[in-house]
Amino acid sequence: MDNEFGDAFGQLLADRCTPEAVRGIERGEGADALWHDLVESGFVDALVPEAQGGAGLSLHEVLPLVQACGYHALPLPFAETMAARAVLAHARRQWPDGPVTLDAIGDALPVEDRGALHAALTTAQIAGAAARVLEMSIAHAQQRTQFGKPIGSFQAVQHQLSVMAEHACAARMAAQLSFASASHLPDRTLAAMGKSVAGEAAAVLAAGSHAVHGAIGITAEFDLQLYTRRLLAWRVQGGSPSHWAMQVARQWWSGSHDRAIDFTLERLGAARF
Amino acid sequence: MFDSLSLTRIPADDEALRAPVRAFLDKALEGVAPEVRARSWGGFDAAFSRALGERGWIGLTLPKEYGGGGRSLYARFVLVEELLRAGAPVAAHWFADRQSAPHILKFGTPAQAQFHLPRICRGEVFFCIGMSEPGSGSDLASVRTRATRNDKGWRLDGQKIWTTNAHRSHYMIALVRTSGDAGSRQKGLSQVIVDLSLPGITIRPITDLTGDAHFCEVFFDGVQLTDDALIGAEGDGWNQVTSELAYERSGPERIYSSVVLLDEWLAHLRTRREPSQRSLALAGRVLSALAVLRSLSVSVNGRLAEGESPIVEAALVKDLGTTLEQFIPEAIADALGDDPDATLPDGLARTLQYVSQIAPAFSLRGGTREVLRGMIARGLGLR
Repeated sequence: MDNEFGDAFGQLLADRCTPEAVRGIERGEGADALWHDLVESGFVDALVPEAQGGAGLSLHEVLPLVQACGYHALPLPFAETMAARAVLAHARRQWPDGPVTLDAIGDALPVEDRGALHAALTTAQIAGAAARVLEMSIAHAQQRTQFGKPIGSFQAVQHQLSVMAEHACAARMAAQLSFASASHLPDRTLAAMGKSVAGEAAAVLAAGSHAVHGAIGITAEFDLQLYTRRLLAWRVQGGSPSHWAMQVARQWWSGSHDRAIDFTLERLGAARF
Repeated sequence: MFDSLSLTRIPADDEALRAPVRAFLDKALEGVAPEVRARSWGGFDAAFSRALGERGWIGLTLPKEYGGGGRSLYARFVLVEELLRAGAPVAAHWFADRQSAPHILKFGTPAQAQFHLPRICRGEVFFCIGMSEPGSGSDLASVRTRATRNDKGWRLDGQKIWTTNAHRSHYMIALVRTSGDAGSRQKGLSQVIVDLSLPGITIRPITDLTGDAHFCEVFFDGVQLTDDALIGAEGDGWNQVTSELAYERSGPERIYSSVVLLDEWLAHLRTRREPSQRSLALAGRVLSALAVLRSLSVSVNGRLAEGESPIVEAALVKDLGTTLEQFIPEAIADALGDDPDATLPDGLARTLQYVSQIAPAFSLRGGTREVLRGMIARGLGLR
């Protein structure tokens, strides 16, 4: 699932979207320079058809880009702009310059597809941020010493980190399912399932990483909050886990399969990757 | 490790196995009560296993020269998924199919493979797995059952416990000590194939809290094994057992143990004109979790199919899977209890009771939750 685009974009964010840069933008110091670099990279038109000047990639190919936005806590709507441009391009409409939210789509997309797109984008960003806070928590547990040994050597802490790893893994698979599309739009059910699972994982990762970090993790000065604040916001943005679980249930209800495996297999069959 | 489990496709020719298996199972299990089907890989039915064997559905991944199907692990995933979906009584051949047969193929001599594998594939002989002992459960390396060399082969003394279906199996692959003592830990352990009809073996079933008797105590009192009972290398038992566990932990049986109950409940919801919002949200939550878990499970299966041994990933998926398996009866009971005066269909009530009672075992069998989380922590570099 990782690819060259993802590596290049990840490197760009690692260089330019540093924790200091994120804090600066959050303080209102202006994001024009970072946005300029992101646009210059060309990735923002990744989903726009080649005939319209884009790279013509499918959703499943750009997953690493969106995960990287979450991993680096990018405080700009890059993923949303990328998606909105693709939708507008496919609808043969002009797209505005600069960063936009999915509101820019207007009526160019049925409301259900717009909701699914929003869910998929937040799911992938949750997966990225989940990986980041897990890495930070493991590193902290290995380095922070109490009672004469690293806290990561205590079984209670190990088990907490193991559970976080499970949920980070689930969120990552949820993101892969959400983005398993050969077009610029996600499958509605897969996006709903993905957000339901990733939303729950976000809460586990946010709470767990703070538990492992102790008081230092609560401070504004420490970087953890850059990611956990976003995890909690993305958890509910575009619909909470329960909201999306309800959408999945409605699809089950209106379908013909009563058996859980039959419904699941049918919907997983829509995955394109 | 976090990026090793990627969305994996089951090849079309393996997926094609689903239809004939489903057609067979629909007929074979017609009218079987849900609380019986909920037992699935706890349900023992020798005739059913032989019927599967006749169709070539035992030992699916074994080479054809040994009577196997010569198919991939993906085909086996499809087969197992269908067996669990139907709630088929597969316990008789399950352990041989999943663990013993691949183990004999990997570590056994050609003569051992030639002797055991064709009969396993026909569903004629059943195996059990002799690992736990009194005082040696999660701390498996403290095994004390001993095989001592003598002029006829090996003399076996000791005791196993929690051995599933020992009383109905023909053979056990036992982890035993061939040198050192319990303090030697992983060193000096070996594996032997024990013919359970030999003199000196006493097997006592243990009744569980649901009233079933599937696991057993097994006593070995001066049991004489022949030379060829040893499987693999003497002293290499620990490594052999460890490689076996990735197979034991990665399969769909670690995510679908409550699926018959889930289906009964979904069918019950369907009879309502309008299920409560809460019930629908629960259904959606479980179906979503199942989709992600199933994708993870296929992914681990794919790694195994590539010849890797994803032990940490298998532990991770098993812990996530058993957590969902245990959540399902708890949450369904709670949702149904919203309306304490409503009468439940008998099948649903009995299935809920059985799965609720047995659910604690889901995170004990095949390595406890605590042991698995320790393995994951090791994979994270924490120990």
